[in-house]
Amino acid sequence: MPRPPQQIAAFYEARGFGKPMIEKLKQQCFITVWVHNKSSHVIWLELPQWRFSNTNGVVERRDRHYWKAVWNKMQIPLAHQSTFRWTLLPEILDFQPDEREGGNIILPRDNKPIQIQATFPTRTDKSGTPITVSFNNIQCAIDP
Amino acid sequence: MIRAHHLWLVLLWLSLTSPGMAVEPMELPKGILQLDPYPSPTTELKDLDGEPYNLKEDKGAWVFVHFWASWCGPCREEMPAIQNMANTLQPEGFKLAMINTAEDEDTVFSFLSAHAPDVRPLMDRDGQVTEKWQPRGLPATYLVDPNGQVRYQALGGRAWDTPPYLTFLRDLMKPR
Repeated sequence: MPRPPQQIAAFYEARGFGKPMIEKLKQQCFITVWVHNKSSHVIWLELPQWRFSNTNGVVERRDRHYWKAVWNKMQIPLAHQSTFRWTLLPEILDFQPDEREGGNIILPRDNKPIQIQATFPTRTDKSGTPITVSFNNIQCAIDP
Repeated sequence: MIRAHHLWLVLLWLSLTSPGMAVEPMELPKGILQLDPYPSPTTELKDLDGEPYNLKEDKGAWVFVHFWASWCGPCREEMPAIQNMANTLQPEGFKLAMINTAEDEDTVFSFLSAHAPDVRPLMDRDGQVTEKWQPRGLPATYLVDPNGQVRYQALGGRAWDTPPYLTFLRDLMKPR
């Protein structure tokens, strides 16, 4: 679910984040994702293997390393950095049967439709048939 | 276009399913994972009143180590069940370490007043203790044995005050 900038700003303002951090976040394209493993075996979330693209080509996801560098440069308090990280979708997680976790994916804001290809290796040792899901025409949300 | 194998999908809610798989026998309550034991990370914090806490000092008892934040919806839902469980099991020797992740005193005080007024919160002000435990998400619960070994992990929020979980926790405390 894409999130508009006002909603993102309101959420993080309520967590006490300062204006510079909020302004930076409002410039991004937030997509909230929930994953629920309804199977009886392990399914792997491996976010680095997901592919994001638009008509210009590959869209680089802004991951934890990206944000750590940004926040450190901006001298953001560790508490806010920590809270921010907990609102992101995990990078890698072996979803256990019936486990559900969610979080945000952050992409550069653009008005072009985004394609997402998400691949989930299966079984503990990743030996199962991977599950692949593709989404077309995802739009960054704008404020009403 | 959407391509899926064993997958139901509603917008960006991903629900993964494989109905043909055999269900493995479950001896633990739903959502409890048994871990290969490992020493609990160093956990030294202060509570809301500034009193120090050290997980090491709870050695000799099972400890329910829980990470939460007020902004986390499942944390809010789970907290009353944790308080009920604590009211039941703490008199029997069960210990709790309720660790708030990276929030301030006012936020924690307001939240607990409404959701679990008897809980003693431990303040991980900068979130660094939480990071050391490497939770899968928030909320996160670990069960630490009397020797300080992390033995179980709960997936997400659980109905801790219901019979399957109370029985499980009581069984842990039984002398072996």
